Amino acid sequence: MIKAVNLKKSFGELEVLKDINVNIEPQEVVVVIGPSGSGKSTFLRCLNLLESITDGHVYIKDRDITSKQTDINKVRTDVGMVFQQFNLFPHKTVIQNIMLSPMKVRKWQKDKAEKKALELLDKVGLAEKAYVYPDSLSGGQKQRVAIARALAMEPEIMLFDEPTSALDPEMVGEVLEVMKQLAKEGMTMVVVTHEMGFAREVGDRVIFMDGGYIVEENLPSELFGNPKHERTQAFLSKVL
Amino acid sequence: MLDFRWDIIGEYLPFFLKGALLTIGLSVGAIFLGLIFGLLMGIFRISPYLLVRTPFIWYINFFRGTPLFVQILLIHFGVMPMVMSEINPAVSALVALSLNATAYIAEIFRGGIQSIDRGQMEAARSLGMTNLQAMRYIIIPQAFKRMIPPLGNEFIVLLKDSSLAAVIAAPELMYWGRAMQGQYYRVWEPYLAVAIIYLILTLSLTYLLNYIERRMATE
Repeated sequence: MIKAVNLKKSFGELEVLKDINVNIEPQEVVVVIGPSGSGKSTFLRCLNLLESITDGHVYIKDRDITSKQTDINKVRTDVGMVFQQFNLFPHKTVIQNIMLSPMKVRKWQKDKAEKKALELLDKVGLAEKAYVYPDSLSGGQKQRVAIARALAMEPEIMLFDEPTSALDPEMVGEVLEVMKQLAKEGMTMVVVTHEMGFAREVGDRVIFMDGGYIVEENLPSELFGNPKHERTQAFLSKVL
Repeated sequence: MLDFRWDIIGEYLPFFLKGALLTIGLSVGAIFLGLIFGLLMGIFRISPYLLVRTPFIWYINFFRGTPLFVQILLIHFGVMPMVMSEINPAVSALVALSLNATAYIAEIFRGGIQSIDRGQMEAARSLGMTNLQAMRYIIIPQAFKRMIPPLGNEFIVLLKDSSLAAVIAAPELMYWGRAMQGQYYRVWEPYLAVAIIYLILTLSLTYLLNYIERRMATE
């Protein structure tokens, strides 16, 4: 489903991703952990080309997104993304936020987009908030709307970039709950997070990144229970 | 001041009103054209491609960096005779004011667009929108709201600066003020009358802009 081959990314002189090789299967939930500056967010952002790729290849459903022939806008419709800062459109109501892209990109009729949006809002438990502006929502509610907005494009892959890091602690649970539900339904997910409980419970695989490399990857039970690499041990001893 | 002559103001009032109409016409026309070309130029101005960006940067440099007075003279006596067989001062004034306003408005647009959080563009692109769609539906509507105060400023400056068209004898408000001064050799009556009419125009414009700003704020 997602394949990164010798992926490298530099910002000027600074090499952030040094040599990343990952293969993610359909319906797999991969959780990426690591200290700040380890390159985990950059890695995630390379998967839908929000960051340009310096070297190597990324394949999404066998399409090489580094190739000039690939229509990246088309690929992105298959890849939903949820951001740390939500990035809802403040000048549009909740339902407009969700309907916009299906209508403009997928060219759906308004009724169809509206029906889908209401369905998704119901799913994330915010049906009654359809016609308010994002400003009036709490952080947790905003993030659930952002998830619904990404799902409205009916993606096959969802990328989560620290989705709970900007939330008050009491709101983390409601967002993780929605993500768990998605995982259960078989969505392919790549999640960058500091929520180790979520990684352990929902992840099929955990990747530990440090210094631009994948240091260790394994089943959650193995990686958390029996970390092999020294740096993984040091990191886990600090966060667990 | 003691012998303030109301009668000559009364005599010139119809001309002042006619002149004020042209002043309004020049201002509205230049605002309209400036908005259209300024928006386009503001977008090209931030193009990632140096070759696209550079000519617009220099256009803006020129029109912001030289006096409007000089631009009006250059356009009326230099450029217009090359492109039109018969030169008309009002048309020259409109062209000069529009070209000048375009440069300022392009910079206002650029500032507005660049003030929008990067995450908005990223979210739009991650949803499959093209750069153009993201600009149209997400970035520009939000930027526009922030551009209203500086645009209002520009409109007021433009309205007042249209008085420079008097030097090429475009019969706008200031032209008639000078005509009256020339006829009667009086200072206070023509210039004070003209000043008050400009003030009425700019205050009306300020009021209108505040109204628009308030309406957009509640949305």
